[in-house]
Amino acid sequence: MARALEPQEGGRLVTATMPLKIVRPSRSAARGSGEGRWRLLLAAVVLAILLVWEAAVSWLQLVPAVFLPPPTAVAASFVELVVRPDFWSAFGYSLGNLAIGVVLAVVIGVVVGLAVGWFPVLRFTVAPFLWLLYSTPKVALAPLIILILGLGAASQIALVLLLAVFPIMLNTMEGALTVNKSLVNAGRVFGANGIALGVKVLLPGTLPFSLVGIQRGAALGFTGQVLGEFLGGAGGLGHLLERAAFDFQMDDAIAMVIVMVIIANLTLTVIGLLRKRFAPWHDDRATVKAG
Amino acid sequence: MPDSAETAAAPLIEVRGVTVRYDIARTGTSLTAVEGVDLDIAEGEFVTVLGPSGCGKTTVMNVIAGLVKPTEGSVTVDGRTVTGPGPDRAVVFQDYALLPWRSVFDNVRFGLEMQQSLNSGDWRERVQNAIELVGLAGFEQSYPRELSGGMQQRVGLARAIVAEPRILLMDEPLGAVDALTREVMRDEIEKLITATGKTVIFITHSIEEAILLGDRIVVFKSHPGAILEEITVDLPRPRSERGAQSDPRYLELRDHLWDVLQNEATAASRGGKGS
Repeated sequence: MARALEPQEGGRLVTATMPLKIVRPSRSAARGSGEGRWRLLLAAVVLAILLVWEAAVSWLQLVPAVFLPPPTAVAASFVELVVRPDFWSAFGYSLGNLAIGVVLAVVIGVVVGLAVGWFPVLRFTVAPFLWLLYSTPKVALAPLIILILGLGAASQIALVLLLAVFPIMLNTMEGALTVNKSLVNAGRVFGANGIALGVKVLLPGTLPFSLVGIQRGAALGFTGQVLGEFLGGAGGLGHLLERAAFDFQMDDAIAMVIVMVIIANLTLTVIGLLRKRFAPWHDDRATVKAG
Repeated sequence: MPDSAETAAAPLIEVRGVTVRYDIARTGTSLTAVEGVDLDIAEGEFVTVLGPSGCGKTTVMNVIAGLVKPTEGSVTVDGRTVTGPGPDRAVVFQDYALLPWRSVFDNVRFGLEMQQSLNSGDWRERVQNAIELVGLAGFEQSYPRELSGGMQQRVGLARAIVAEPRILLMDEPLGAVDALTREVMRDEIEKLITATGKTVIFITHSIEEAILLGDRIVVFKSHPGAILEEITVDLPRPRSERGAQSDPRYLELRDHLWDVLQNEATAASRGGKGS
């Protein structure tokens, strides 16, 4: 019974055409050197911008340093900032709220997105409202949320959730819609239905889409957190930024903005790594084709 | 109530008056994919279903698999009416339908894991046996995207046979495989299946495949899909050797099927209902 069907030659599989070997795409390797050159160019551009900025403010004095402090002053403020203990407590506060909001958004977004994408009834009744809410400027709801939940962490988490949940939900929904029909059929043929079909076929098939949504949602959620801090409450990076601006400490303020840019990019990178880790089989071009 | 002798002689699969209609929301009309299909298949029989694309042969297979509910009529397997998929029937899909996030080993395991067969202890061995049987030993940890089309379909075949179903439903399994691999795999399928004595429904639009594999050929027509003709093939097995293809009975059968399909194609285009 357990005889191999193939003619075997020295343990190697032989087909009618030729001995088979695993072909691994070497795209990333081929791209490596080219990408390195672009990175170098990018660094040169950044350096040039900083140089022009420094020259315009410090040497030519085209702009008063009170409004636009030169890069060297910003760098000094940045170094001062990252050794202050109140900076790190603000950092922890902001990121803590962001994390709670994003996790809530992921749970709600993925569950609702899968359900709406999967059940035609929900797709035709609920989805239009989701798109409507998605296109609503949620920032406009911030005063309302603060009125209901008060100044502080609760309303900030609510803002993060509100901004982050829709990209996650709608991407998951689109993903669930495009999951290959014959994968679902295969799942059913081999005995998966209900929850098992959702967990074994639908969820992994949708995961790459959800992760794209989570990436966008987290970036938007950070905006929500900073906005919430602007509008009220104590603590948080947004609060520190606001205070620096009020005190006319422009070098501090710009350093804060740089910190926020770094945080946002780190978040994107981490989720990008998660995408590579959990969906290495996913090819964006293949997804479009599979529809 | 039939007596026991009759039950024993009854066909394994009984398709009775199966009609499938789809409503087309856009035009408010309905499309009849298949109409009034009656088919009996005995245990251990290898039936090939031949017909042009879009003739509803896949729809009939999906009804037997339990994936599509018939608008009219019914299918019984071993006397029980089919209401959904079951462990007695496995499907090999034209587009392989492998889970891209699972390795070859885990894809084949999928054929077992939903049926609580993983508790039985020897499941690793069963998965490994199925993989070796289709000639994929050494590729257990590869992912579908790393394999050629032919190899992916070997995985699909291993997944279908790993739980040892009584019935194997194959929907143009070699349709997406390149021509040379196709011939090799056709011969392998003949040897593999006839050795295990499974009941097989094999859908194809290749006349050669239909003759070389089938104990019986069911020819379909389109618009709407229905059975046109049934032919018993009494060529000796194995037929995979070149010899079969120079056998006068093979040639006669091939010419006959050509005529039937050609007449059908002409009639369909003249009827103005084509495409």
